[in-house]
Amino acid sequence: MCSRNKGPADGLASPSAQTMLENYFPVFVFILVGLAFGCAPIFLGWLIAPNRPDSEKLSPFECGFEAFEDARMKFDVRFYLIAIIFILFDLEIAFLFPWAVIFKDIVSSEAMRLFGFIEMMIFIGILVLGYVYAWARGALDWE
Amino acid sequence: MMELLQAIEQMGQSLLGVAWVPVWTLVKIVAIVAPLMIGIAYLTLAERKVIGYMQVRIGPNRVGYYGLLQPLADGIKLMFKEIIIPTGSNRFLFVVAPVLALMPALAAWAVVPFADGMVLANVNAGLLYILAMTSLGVYGIIIAGWASNSKYAFLGAMRSAAQIVSYEIAMGFALVCVLMAAQSMNLGDIVHGQQGKAGLFGWYFIPLFPMFLVYLIAGVAETNRAPFDMAEGESEIVAGFHVEYSGMAFALFFLAEYANMILIAALTSIMFLGGWLPPFDVAPFNWLPGLFWMLAKMSFVLFLFLWFRATFPRYRYDQLMRLGWKVFIPLTLIWVVVVGAWMQTRFWLW
Amino acid sequence: MSFDTLVFYLLAALTVFAALRVITARNPVHAALFLVLAFFSTAGIWMLLEAEFLAITLVLVYVGAVMVLFLFVVMMLDINLVQLREGFWRWFPFGVVLAAIMVFEMVWVLGSRQTVETGAQVAKHAADYSNTKELGRLIYTEYVYPFELAAVVLLVAIVAAIALSLRHRRDSKSQDVAKQVAVRREDRVRIVSVPSGKKAGPGIED
Repeated sequence: MCSRNKGPADGLASPSAQTMLENYFPVFVFILVGLAFGCAPIFLGWLIAPNRPDSEKLSPFECGFEAFEDARMKFDVRFYLIAIIFILFDLEIAFLFPWAVIFKDIVSSEAMRLFGFIEMMIFIGILVLGYVYAWARGALDWE
Repeated sequence: MMELLQAIEQMGQSLLGVAWVPVWTLVKIVAIVAPLMIGIAYLTLAERKVIGYMQVRIGPNRVGYYGLLQPLADGIKLMFKEIIIPTGSNRFLFVVAPVLALMPALAAWAVVPFADGMVLANVNAGLLYILAMTSLGVYGIIIAGWASNSKYAFLGAMRSAAQIVSYEIAMGFALVCVLMAAQSMNLGDIVHGQQGKAGLFGWYFIPLFPMFLVYLIAGVAETNRAPFDMAEGESEIVAGFHVEYSGMAFALFFLAEYANMILIAALTSIMFLGGWLPPFDVAPFNWLPGLFWMLAKMSFVLFLFLWFRATFPRYRYDQLMRLGWKVFIPLTLIWVVVVGAWMQTRFWLW
Repeated sequence: MSFDTLVFYLLAALTVFAALRVITARNPVHAALFLVLAFFSTAGIWMLLEAEFLAITLVLVYVGAVMVLFLFVVMMLDINLVQLREGFWRWFPFGVVLAAIMVFEMVWVLGSRQTVETGAQVAKHAADYSNTKELGRLIYTEYVYPFELAAVVLLVAIVAAIALSLRHRRDSKSQDVAKQVAVRREDRVRIVSVPSGKKAGPGIED
């Protein structure tokens, strides 16, 4: 991690790292800093802010009366459905990303010219079937 | 400037040895986070000023000259406010939730280039990393809503989670179009792909114009900003998921929201508006440094955010879901196909 | 010990700890959140193997999407904890046998000579090495059929999810936007010509 070559036009950028992994070191540190930066104000608030609780102050907001029941109630199944459909489309995006990045490479070779395009059109076509089904059944409507 | 930085690096390396790398990384992180925090502070002031003037008021003008010390006063006030942890809430998760909201909003900045080569981590999968980080933002909201054990908070959290999740798909498809045009996930390379003699006409907002709009609108929805602020909806669910939060815990949610806004502005500038490139590569324009153009573009996008808030009434939830699922997803899918076909022809000039 | 190895042991320990807490935590929401932590540290380990695309996709898909669904379910269903724990001791021997088989399989695979020889060292790649491009080149040229099959699997999943969980509410008062937009003036406004002046109704002041 310590021996590095110095490029001329580095500026704030990380010095030309030798391996791919070294590029991710600042990311790792940044995630830790992000966590620390989040914890610091809470700690500060706990340190200098007053702390005089009473039962009225600590009760959850409920338009002026006592809560009838636990707030964690059953919810409309629609939220689950949205989450499930989201997972599936998210996976589709995960498949599209590497394709998009090498699209020009595949297309540039004469033999693969249309191949690279058509394979993804088939993929998208199959998934559009699912999308159309969801639409037709009314799964995308929010009632 | 470059010589100075190099001199510092050499001195540090000889002085600290192995420990120098993390120290220097931390210095760079502070160099990103500190201006970001100042940016957030003054974005709140700008928001109140801009909306004020749009509504024929003058906004905050008492604290400091022209109200310039207002954000500082707000911050100090929040610091001295009691952090209330409601009874019946899950104490640990209640405190952790705002931290989880802020962490991804900050960590995503690790891969954002501010000018040519001015980036903390020049990773190849930069765009994917940002998409992953923004998808983590939803945890802070869900956990806050659940841990509060309050009906309004829970309702707001559920609404917000479903909303963020819905718009993330449209956002992802819009990014696919950018990747096709740029052939790289590295944010610096995406800007380099827009560089050329044509200046402003080489930027991706021209061939990908529908995606530019989709990304911008999905960005507004992702950050829960007006007119998509159903999650907060102060007139119906009294500020939603953070209704029980006070003091610094509330401030963290606030910071996270504004950090996300600035992040969306930076990404829109990088992917569609040419990042640090000047609009025309001729004399008066390219005298200014790249950082200036980057910040100018970000300010423009942020101004749009504020303008939207002052102009549009809040969407209804079913309208919001309809826009995300039934308008944006078909539109982005069609544009992926269009760009794919377009790139096979001679008419693809980007 | 190099820095990489240190990070690996740190992440591995975190993963094992989180996984243990997933099955021991009493509160299902806590268990789900520990599973998030386990995924996150696993992504870190994959990153150490220089599989950047897979590592970030793990965060994007599993942490960003699948676990959100888990949390939705765990938070919103009234899960009765006592009921959930009822059959624990009855199923315990079965679980132990299952775990033993899995451990045996893992040892078998990892311990075989071939794996030891081929999987010994991970080559370090230069900074401009793009894992995603390599992966794309393989998937979209050589492994096209599995890739298209993945689309079919996803299609089946979409259809199944909708068929299983879609319920229409009878009391909903939702509006049909298309119908609202398509409405014409003639549908709503009726012009009635009322004869005026001839015969005023009663009650008018004179």
